[in-house]
Amino acid sequence: MRPSVRLLSLDVQGASRTLYVCSVCRNEARPRPIVARQFLRHASNTPLSERVRRRLWGTDNPPGLKDPYGESLLEKRFGKAKAQPEGETEVVNAAEAAPEAEAIDQLEPGVDYEPATTWDGLERVGHLGGWKNVPRAEADRVGTFGLKKKLRKQGPLFLAAHQAAVEICLMHALNKPLTSVCNVTEHDKAVFKMIWKTKIVPNEAGSWGSALEYHNKQAKEALVYIFEQIGGSQPEAVEQQQAAEETAEVEEFEEAAWEGEEEETSKVPFFGYQDARDKGFLTLSLEDQETKFAFLKRFSQLSGHFFPDNIVHQITTVKQAIDYVQGQLNPKPKKLAEILEHNDRLQSLPNIKVFSKRQTRLHRDDEMGRRKIIEAELRSRGLLA
Amino acid sequence: MKRLQLQRWSSSVLSAQARTGGRLQHRLYTGIRHQSTASPAAPAANDQLLEEDLLASSIRPPTSRQSKYQLPSPPVEAARESAKLAALHARLYLPSRLPLETLARSLVDASADPNPKFNNESLATLGHDLLTHYTSEYLICTYPRLPLTVIFAAMYAYVGPKTLAAMAREWGVESAAAPGGEVDPGYLQFNRVLPGVDVHSKPVTGTARPHEDQTHWRKSITSSVVYDNEFGDPVKGPKDPSEQSKQDAQNTQGVTAEQANATFVRAVMGAIYLHAGRPAAKRFFEQHFLSRHLNISDLFNFSQPARDLARLCARENFEQPVARIISETGRKSRHPVFVVGIYSGQDKLGEGAGASLLEARSRAAVAALKGWYLYSPLNVRVPSSMEEEGAAPWKPVHVDLGEVIV
Repeated sequence: MRPSVRLLSLDVQGASRTLYVCSVCRNEARPRPIVARQFLRHASNTPLSERVRRRLWGTDNPPGLKDPYGESLLEKRFGKAKAQPEGETEVVNAAEAAPEAEAIDQLEPGVDYEPATTWDGLERVGHLGGWKNVPRAEADRVGTFGLKKKLRKQGPLFLAAHQAAVEICLMHALNKPLTSVCNVTEHDKAVFKMIWKTKIVPNEAGSWGSALEYHNKQAKEALVYIFEQIGGSQPEAVEQQQAAEETAEVEEFEEAAWEGEEEETSKVPFFGYQDARDKGFLTLSLEDQETKFAFLKRFSQLSGHFFPDNIVHQITTVKQAIDYVQGQLNPKPKKLAEILEHNDRLQSLPNIKVFSKRQTRLHRDDEMGRRKIIEAELRSRGLLA
Repeated sequence: MKRLQLQRWSSSVLSAQARTGGRLQHRLYTGIRHQSTASPAAPAANDQLLEEDLLASSIRPPTSRQSKYQLPSPPVEAARESAKLAALHARLYLPSRLPLETLARSLVDASADPNPKFNNESLATLGHDLLTHYTSEYLICTYPRLPLTVIFAAMYAYVGPKTLAAMAREWGVESAAAPGGEVDPGYLQFNRVLPGVDVHSKPVTGTARPHEDQTHWRKSITSSVVYDNEFGDPVKGPKDPSEQSKQDAQNTQGVTAEQANATFVRAVMGAIYLHAGRPAAKRFFEQHFLSRHLNISDLFNFSQPARDLARLCARENFEQPVARIISETGRKSRHPVFVVGIYSGQDKLGEGAGASLLEARSRAAVAALKGWYLYSPLNVRVPSSMEEEGAAPWKPVHVDLGEVIV
């Protein structure tokens, strides 16, 4: 028996009714001191559950309901009659009410909140099944960034790469943000012709800004003017200025492009131009990360080809980008059947036959002459049309 | 005897299609379904062939898959594309002068393609004659005293249809389910007999033998040399055209797989003879036919060996055979063994052991008879060896009188 317990039992000893009881039994048998009375002696006015809560939370103002479990049995027995002190209650109330009031103020600034009992008059979110009756909104239209149909032939690919290179060079020369060239999907024919006539002469330093060689001075002025607009302002503004500067057709065309994409695809790409005029852009370096990103973005917009990250990492010149698009950078692995078909050693062996397609039971039936019998039998039973 | 210039002869016989070389001609003739060697079986029907030529020229080359189904047998150019055929050619170690096209043709039975230019009938006829010729001269020269029945049995064992079918199976020749233009040329193609048809239902009639209807008359074994085929079996006599057409009708009904396989092997033999010449054909015969082991002494069947032996001794002017016990053991036991020898004068002709004296005596007589009949001279030469270059002068081989007629 622990000494403290023994001490507890001291006062009871005098009241013992039995004389000869062993110490353990005496301790067991003795009337228990009423525990509630023990802490009642030291208790404050706060109820037991509240004190437990305070103890648990470690603060004098624990969050949550004041009495989450209802009144305890002990409280009913001992503390019911006692009224709580007024001041403490107020403090607690004030502390609890403050955030609530703030929340109400934030949610409902002017109108007082009244909870709804039915769903009538509530705001509807979503379509609730009637989505197909809802008319098409502006947000429903999805336009691809690049071309819908990828360019496959070498001439158009060169045209796209040349145009992208010329534009990036211009932006470099004008010190404008490079990727802003993507804001204009397609130029006017006159502008495109000027771009087409512009030559690219890569210099040793590899700088893009000084690589352009214009067709004539007017073309240079026009291009510089146009691309200053493109680089300097929002795309809408660009279009307006372009329209003001050149013709109204451009804007009409741009609008048409936004309105119906079918018309755009039906148009001849690159205004019927078949191939780039010079091949100087092929040797342009893409070492600069920013330039590479801008070029590939514009090129993929014009050509419709997507560049995965690992390929972007590999590409160092414009030519490599075109090679990748043409499937030369990482050619598709050949099928084993194709390799075997082009194996001269196997082809020279007369007793080996390489088939490009898988030989099935049907083929075997056919070469054994069994197939026509099977088919005739199936036909006679009406199982084969 | 001078060696025939067979290669030159065969090339004049062969059409352009069947020759190994001749690319230009190959191209020229692909349009025509024309690969045939001049058929040795029907050399007379020239006008008919001409007609067929005209007919064949109207046939377009089978380009599409659909038109292949309409041909009775695979087109000629399919032979070059068949791996099976090339494998078979290599497996049989056939001479390279034998083109794949001819091998493909030898795989087409007459029941599959009735056109004699495209089936193997003519090749098989030639091959059959060669095989029986080589086998019979080998048998007669090697065992000059064999009775005729044994010769027939040995012929059947060497080049009979069952043996040939077994050989084709050993060569790995598979048969197609049904003939047709789309079938791989490496398969043996023939029209099968319908299930339920009894192949051996009725005896052969229409032979050349007189008094054929007298079934109870004795048929001597010697007469079968004249009237019967190489195996001593009754054979149909010379056919008139109406019967020929009847046989064609039978061909369309189908043949058994055994017949078709045998025909194929014969056709291969004929093709080798035509394309590669006689030495190659003979080599092929020795390697594939004579190399098969045949125990001829098992083919004998004596009913009264002691009597036969007595007759034989009388014919050959030997002393009468006497049976004497050489040794015996356990005469009174359950399993006695007697060893009996047959003596003609002082010479022991044969010896045999048996459980009884009679059995031992007849065994001894059988041994004596087999010893007589199975005599084989040393350094056997067959008549066809004279066809080789620089052959030694022919010395006539000894052929005995044959069996004892009792």
